[in-house]
Amino acid sequence: MAIMRMVVVVVVAMLACGGPGNACGEDGAFVPTVEQRSWWAYQPVVDPPVPDVTRRDWPHDDLDRFVLAELEARGLGASPSAERGVWLRRVSIDLTGLPPTPGEVEAFLADGAVGAEERVVDRLLATRAYGERQARRWLDVVRYADFHDGNPAARNPVCEPLEAWRYRDWVVGAFAADLPFDRFIAYQIAGDLLPPPDGRDVHPDGLVATTFLVNGAWDRGDADKEKMVSDMVDDQIDTIGKAFLGLGLGCARCHDHKFDPISTADYYALAGIFYSTRMLEELGTKGGEITLRRRALVPAEEVERHRRIAAELAAIDGAFGALDKRLPSVAPDDPERVALAARRSDLLPQLPPSPPMALAVSEGGVPGGLFPGIQDVPIHERGSYARLGRVVPRGVPAFLPGPTPQPISAGSGRRELAAWIASGENPLTTRGIVNRVWQWHFGTGLVSTANNVGLLSEPPSHPRLLDWLACRFVEEGWSLKKLHRRIVLSAAYSQSSAATPVGLAADPANRWLGRFTSQRLDAEGLRDGMLVMSGKLDGAGEGLLGPGKPATADVAAPCRSLYLQTCRWDRSGYAVLFDAANCDASVENRSVSTVAPQALFLMNDPFVKGMAVAFAERLFRDVPMDVAGATERRIERAWRLAYGRAPDEDDSAIARGIVARGDAEPVPVGWIDLAHVLLSSNEFAHVD
Amino acid sequence: MSTEGPPKPDPVMPIASPLSRRALLGQAGCGFGGLALADLLSREEARGEARGAAPLAPRPPHFPPKAKRVIFLYMPGGPSHVDLLDPKPRLVIDNGKPLPFAKPRLERTKTGNLLASPWKFARHGKAGIEVSELLPGLASRIDDVCVVRSMLADNINHTGAALQLCTGEQAFSRPAMGSWLTYGLGSENENLPGFVVVCPVNVFQGAQLWASSFLPSSYQGTLVRDPARPIANLAVGDRHQRATLDALHALNRRHAAGRAKSADLEARIESFELAYRMQAEAPEAFDLTRETAAMHRLYGTDRPDTELFGRQCLLARRLVERGVRFVQLFDAPVNNAWDHHGGLRDALPKRCRAVDQPVAALLGDLKARGLLGDTLVVWGGEFGRTPTAEGTDGREHHPFGFTMWLAGGGVRGGMVHGATDEFGWHAERDVVHIHDLHATILHLMGLDHERLTVRWGGRDYRLTDVHGRVVRPILA
Repeated sequence: MAIMRMVVVVVVAMLACGGPGNACGEDGAFVPTVEQRSWWAYQPVVDPPVPDVTRRDWPHDDLDRFVLAELEARGLGASPSAERGVWLRRVSIDLTGLPPTPGEVEAFLADGAVGAEERVVDRLLATRAYGERQARRWLDVVRYADFHDGNPAARNPVCEPLEAWRYRDWVVGAFAADLPFDRFIAYQIAGDLLPPPDGRDVHPDGLVATTFLVNGAWDRGDADKEKMVSDMVDDQIDTIGKAFLGLGLGCARCHDHKFDPISTADYYALAGIFYSTRMLEELGTKGGEITLRRRALVPAEEVERHRRIAAELAAIDGAFGALDKRLPSVAPDDPERVALAARRSDLLPQLPPSPPMALAVSEGGVPGGLFPGIQDVPIHERGSYARLGRVVPRGVPAFLPGPTPQPISAGSGRRELAAWIASGENPLTTRGIVNRVWQWHFGTGLVSTANNVGLLSEPPSHPRLLDWLACRFVEEGWSLKKLHRRIVLSAAYSQSSAATPVGLAADPANRWLGRFTSQRLDAEGLRDGMLVMSGKLDGAGEGLLGPGKPATADVAAPCRSLYLQTCRWDRSGYAVLFDAANCDASVENRSVSTVAPQALFLMNDPFVKGMAVAFAERLFRDVPMDVAGATERRIERAWRLAYGRAPDEDDSAIARGIVARGDAEPVPVGWIDLAHVLLSSNEFAHVD
Repeated sequence: MSTEGPPKPDPVMPIASPLSRRALLGQAGCGFGGLALADLLSREEARGEARGAAPLAPRPPHFPPKAKRVIFLYMPGGPSHVDLLDPKPRLVIDNGKPLPFAKPRLERTKTGNLLASPWKFARHGKAGIEVSELLPGLASRIDDVCVVRSMLADNINHTGAALQLCTGEQAFSRPAMGSWLTYGLGSENENLPGFVVVCPVNVFQGAQLWASSFLPSSYQGTLVRDPARPIANLAVGDRHQRATLDALHALNRRHAAGRAKSADLEARIESFELAYRMQAEAPEAFDLTRETAAMHRLYGTDRPDTELFGRQCLLARRLVERGVRFVQLFDAPVNNAWDHHGGLRDALPKRCRAVDQPVAALLGDLKARGLLGDTLVVWGGEFGRTPTAEGTDGREHHPFGFTMWLAGGGVRGGMVHGATDEFGWHAERDVVHIHDLHATILHLMGLDHERLTVRWGGRDYRLTDVHGRVVRPILA
């Protein structure tokens, strides 16, 4: 169990400090208030007893007993299970971001044997698509961007995160391989310090994972280099606080946090860790661009070999150039020329490919800055590097719960910070991730603000369930797949989203989970869904686009939307129109907007029109002209592809009305219109 | 307070009604003034409900506004105040001499010697405001203009300074001014975007300057590069479109029956109808060919040097006429067009020629149409330029004291507010920080900058962060 590292508190009248926030000790030191000390999020996780419920046939799992107990305590009931087809579409999109194929629907509906749901979930969890779907969710949390500038020709390679895609792919792989979440944390904060698992000199995954620290919204540089570095450090503290601890730590940059027990001393204890970390190759000239830190993913001798041979080849080219310029001109059979050519043809085959690089940190601060090297830093009064106060030793926030931190003896302290965060005894971390995953499935977390569980947030709806899940999560080896599996196989998750007027009136926001809350497809889900309907996603573009490659600017590219570029300076793209995360700061949950330009995109964009044509063509391939009852069978096929269900009589009537407009073309325009309608429809854009 | 039991609210805090814990804490803000936020929070939450369906629906201001819409004429790069609107005879006297006080701590390049303006100033209008010969058009309209000669910004680089001017924050992503205004007030024409940005080329940071950041994307600036292709996917649909939409609605209505979140589903149905209407209305709004030849001549769209910004200004007038809340024009034929590190003597007159006639035309046209009274026009860059020389024919970035101007929309015309020191270096009298400018713009639009807040990541944010005060002397 977590140890509360709380000092003996001298409670001082709050008025002395002029506000309802923290009090000050007699020597001016930060002392948390009673309210801060008793806030639920700062208490250790306690494994609660599983509650008793009246309706014992409902729960699939102990998880459900916690949900049902709360419903019963309020006189509310659970909803019946969703239809099996609806559940399959829900779980497929939720886990993989892709709708089920008609074949998968048929197979599942035909599988009446016990364990059919488990088999579906295990199949989905084993796909790469699962990794891609969950990776996109994580990338929102870590303010991931592929580039600053949307225009490839305008990108400045020194300050553009051109190798960010390696991190994107690493996250996909980590989810797909079910890398335990504590390891996942340690990789991102201190992967460069982890011993390579295979005993080799270089640990590519460890380096790539620290792109997390380098890929910040730092723009290209600033004349005020000290302020710039302090902003970078702040970005890292902010992102780590929100992503892993569920706390906004940035407030403490200028003053003790007004609400949470985080002092400026705590802030600069953390800041020292990141000032002692090198995320830039160099600061750049005054007013000039920064150069991001990049590290080779092959051993030093290979890098050196490449450098040496490339340098010698360049020297030979130079020597050739000199000979060409010499007058009178040197003959082709000149011995010097012949010798150079021979050496060149010797060397060329030996030249290894350019070493792959990753955006990665190393130990030691940014050279040339105010705090180069490994060191503790002073408190910056009111956040300004020009007003430096007392130096605070590097460490973790003193009043936050967690294990006893390891002392920072050597190095930046990232290793020790990672160990403190990624500990089963840190309730912020363990509750934080199970809450986040819950939100990914239900739309709202048990705590509705995953990035802030501090005193300004609403307490959890189901505090005991949150702790119970956190305990199981740690017990099961920090396995995200096991957590997903537990949640999606629960009775709570399998409920219908249909709401009775009584249920709506009693719990309009569905806080007590008496039904499933239907969700709008996110930008990626909508576009990927269209690509699936049109049959364009099936392996098309493999090798040119997608995994292993930088992101593309082409919205029509036949790859999943994860591989479309996100740019910090260009918000005009497809995904932003449909509420993709702002990649300048950690985003806990996307907003859902409904604006006319989205409808314009769906009505008129060439990509959507192309998808509609391809969808219609597919219907004609799947059900050729000469088949008896072709129209009805095509309509049925369309409904099964788009919605995962058969059309009813009224659906068919509407569809017949559209396709009847068709004139005689290879694929009549009425069918393209029908496909277009289905891809634009609310049923396609929502998950029930 | 006692050491036992639950914490009690601070007794000095005015409490009108029982407050929730959250509202109580919100009252203190992250260092914000002690406003009674309880009712505001609940009102915001209530507003949030309505927003899902119609994010741009008009919403009442905090108090009666003077201005209903804003045109922000942004000159990226930083126009030279001492050459345009802040004459300094002392620079003529001390031309070529070193700066007679300590070199600033923060400088980008080694500060050179004082450089007199190569251009003449003359007094104009009833108030006799001195304006450079480079801006004859503006000079002719100066009685409608309030010149603020004491602007102060915090960042010496384009990147941070432009972000601060457009969003209030130098280093991190925050909602742009236009996002805050459309969030706070909605728009008067839901068939057009509420916040339009006209920026011909990509500038440093690009979209961060008009991003909605943590506000919903409905409040993001709609970027128009070329008025001929203003909004993506406006192409009028084919002959089947109306019938197709009707079929879509039929399916959507069947789908919505019996489902929760019906307002959300209904909003999505309505968004297709709105898009259909926008297809009809927006091309007309953006179509400059509907203006007379005389109007084109007035704005200078018929001449190469004034064509680009003339078109932007004419478009701005058409948009505000149709109820668009916030129009931000970037004078950006290239990135940082006003960044005159060198070639000042040629380049500054060229820039002035490009914008002066269109800007004067815009002010005159708005006035003639009776729109200037409730349309606020703001002109300026992210900073000014040093009174000292960079090289022999340039000036460096200068956030420590520079000039912007405002016109219409409840601002007193024909006045100068504030002053820099005798060298034009430091803003000295009645200093107006960028935060103050923002507070004033919100005030003119009927919004209290301390009350227009959004809760995000555990604290309340505002356009002015924890700063800003309304510049009352310039209010009409």
